[in-house]
Amino acid sequence: MIGCYDFCGHYEWTFGWLERAGGHALVRDYWNEAINHDSQRHARDLIRGEGIPGMLKYWGHTLLEESPDLGFHISHREDVFRIDFHDCPSRGFLLRNGIHHYRDYCDHCMGWTGPMLREAGYVIDHEHNHRGQCWWEMRPAGTPGGHAAPGSVAGAKDVRLRADWPRDPAQLDRYQKANDPDEKLA
Amino acid sequence: MNPAKSPLPYTDTKPQGSADFYYAINATFRYILTKLGHEAWSAYLQEMGRGYFAPVNAAWRTGGLPAVARYWRAFFAAEPGAVVEVTEQPDRVEIHVRECPALKHLRAGGREIVRDYCRHCHVLGAARAAEAGLEMRLDGGNGSCRHTYALPSAALPPQEPAAIAEVAP
Repeated sequence: MIGCYDFCGHYEWTFGWLERAGGHALVRDYWNEAINHDSQRHARDLIRGEGIPGMLKYWGHTLLEESPDLGFHISHREDVFRIDFHDCPSRGFLLRNGIHHYRDYCDHCMGWTGPMLREAGYVIDHEHNHRGQCWWEMRPAGTPGGHAAPGSVAGAKDVRLRADWPRDPAQLDRYQKANDPDEKLA
Repeated sequence: MNPAKSPLPYTDTKPQGSADFYYAINATFRYILTKLGHEAWSAYLQEMGRGYFAPVNAAWRTGGLPAVARYWRAFFAAEPGAVVEVTEQPDRVEIHVRECPALKHLRAGGREIVRDYCRHCHVLGAARAAEAGLEMRLDGGNGSCRHTYALPSAALPPQEPAAIAEVAP
């Protein structure tokens, strides 16, 4: 039986299998069709119906279940929903167990949430360091500008204020007002 | 893998997994079956059995049936909602799944479950058993079933496809 206790492990293995079977296009399609439109349709329905309050309901519940020791912090206002991951439960599982079958596991988050939020009318600012730390800001589509300044939304919980957060952008995968896993900033 | 530390190859900081991940497992099966077909789905499970689960297979090959029993006890202890009994006999280990945690959660969540969901346990389990020098059979399904992992000397009858139940809508 495939279990849920090590889900992140075989989920990551599945990305590699799909890429061998059908290339990058199949992996992208899987994230959108299987995860966004099927597995996570409860998230999709909540966020399309309620916007930022729906994001709070979905991520507030699911992150508490996945990361009961609170390796994350949620901030929200009327115009922005933000998550700071200081210890991503998903990436952390892979790092702790030495699992690596796909070139960039972290892409899966933008792979399914990007299209989901596009359908709900939101865009994403995001950076991740591949070490279990990242941040996300979701704002209504059409919001102008670049990344908000560190601390301006999450205060001291902003992951970019960590001493070990890379100062060199080249060490990060970065997105600005994006919805597509391949829209990384150069 | 360090069997003295944990019978599970990969461990988490929390004692049980998040049951909502069963939604993703079910959706992944549906996606591969729909996009790539049944043969590809079987290949996916067999390759996962030989690849991703290689540390478990190696532990089973080394530790024999006691290692198989330890693994399944630890595995189902980490699956939320599982009601399972593992029994050891000289030539086999039987896993009596009284309440399948996956089907229970998928049904509670109102999800459409792929008809062949239960078959994955056999395709995957048989591939893993073969790597460990064992044989695997599955009887039942649709929420409760019996998995048997046995030595070749047990001379189990061949797997009867009809013995694996389809998931009822």
